[in-house]
Amino acid sequence: MNKNLAPNSVVEDTYLTIVELTQATQIEVTHIVTWVREGILEPAGENPEQWVFSGESLRRAKLACKLFRDFEINPSGIALAIDLLNEITSLRKQLSLHQENLKHR
Amino acid sequence: MKFKDYYKVLGLSNNATAEEVKQAYRKLARKYHPDVSKETNSEEHFKEIREAYEVLKDPEKKVAYDTMGSQWKEGQDFTPPPNWDAGYEFTGTYSGAENFTEASEFFETLFGRRANHKQRSNVHSRGQDHHAKVLIDLVEAYQGGNRTIALKMPTLNSQGQVVLQERKLEISIPKGIYAGQHLRLTGQGGPGSGNGQAGDLFLEIAFNPHPLFKSDGRDIYMSLFLAPWEAALGTTVETSTPTGAIKLNIPSNSVTGNKLRLKGRGIPGTEPGDLYVLLTVVLPPAVTDSEKEAYRLMSEAFKFNPREIKG
Repeated sequence: MNKNLAPNSVVEDTYLTIVELTQATQIEVTHIVTWVREGILEPAGENPEQWVFSGESLRRAKLACKLFRDFEINPSGIALAIDLLNEITSLRKQLSLHQENLKHR
Repeated sequence: MKFKDYYKVLGLSNNATAEEVKQAYRKLARKYHPDVSKETNSEEHFKEIREAYEVLKDPEKKVAYDTMGSQWKEGQDFTPPPNWDAGYEFTGTYSGAENFTEASEFFETLFGRRANHKQRSNVHSRGQDHHAKVLIDLVEAYQGGNRTIALKMPTLNSQGQVVLQERKLEISIPKGIYAGQHLRLTGQGGPGSGNGQAGDLFLEIAFNPHPLFKSDGRDIYMSLFLAPWEAALGTTVETSTPTGAIKLNIPSNSVTGNKLRLKGRGIPGTEPGDLYVLLTVVLPPAVTDSEKEAYRLMSEAFKFNPREIKG
């Protein structure tokens, strides 16, 4: 093993607790709880102490923080915006594949 | 250092009301926010807008800025008058903006880091977690490997000025990682204070754009172009995949839009992704006489009207 290598782990393999997620996003725990209730984040586990968050949740939480801070929108607005942004991303992906094919016709 | 006209950034006159500031900011944020914007360079532009709003929405900062601001013009060389902020007490927090860390030199000079960072009351506190995005090649996700990355981080030097410090970090890319996943590097974030632990560094993985392959999770998509006779009669073609060239059987009567699934040839993992090959039939133009003749023969052989609705 190379000693210079920084030890790392893929978030999917280890998961984050609610405390780790608040540290990673620097947002108060109450926001995280609200966002889980709103369906923006979907942790596994029954109650907040047992929640574990995936890498996808981390991505969504980071986005939620930015939307909350920069647009000052409420939780249901954040949920709607994230859903729509995800849909745009997936539509753009499909579109770029098809556009590439059309270029060759 | 250049003077920044925060009113101009938001497209406002110097006597704009709090409500006008808010409205102008929200409108511009929707246009330039990097997460929702279609504009290029939106990130740089948005930082300016955000910074202008941080000052103008905060009554304390706005008054201080206004007192000084009227004699200056956007872009003018600027040094703050001595003791310009005497008599103003900054509370040092602003609601919901604890993550506002990308302020300009101008902002830092006027309002300082103190306004920009929550003071930690706890002596032994854990360092902040840091985030960065890292671009890797698709092939690294298939094979895993080591990579040296360079990260730029704003830090305070001994004079209290903000400087961009670059550090190199050697990381191992685990086989099977895909775009959108995060690598967590324990203890590589901000240093803790006192006996506090260092924070973690989260690296969000993204792929360098590839001319042939696009990814969606662990699944990979690629296009394959076929001549009409290849598509109609079926054939075997050699094509490159992320794991090397393979021979691919094209069934007869394939049409544009058909998808061939190569199971398990996506990004490896406990549940490996699939490789999807999207077929596109390319029509050759008829230029020479013999080419034109070939199309004429086709029109006779096929009683084919593409505008006829198939029952």
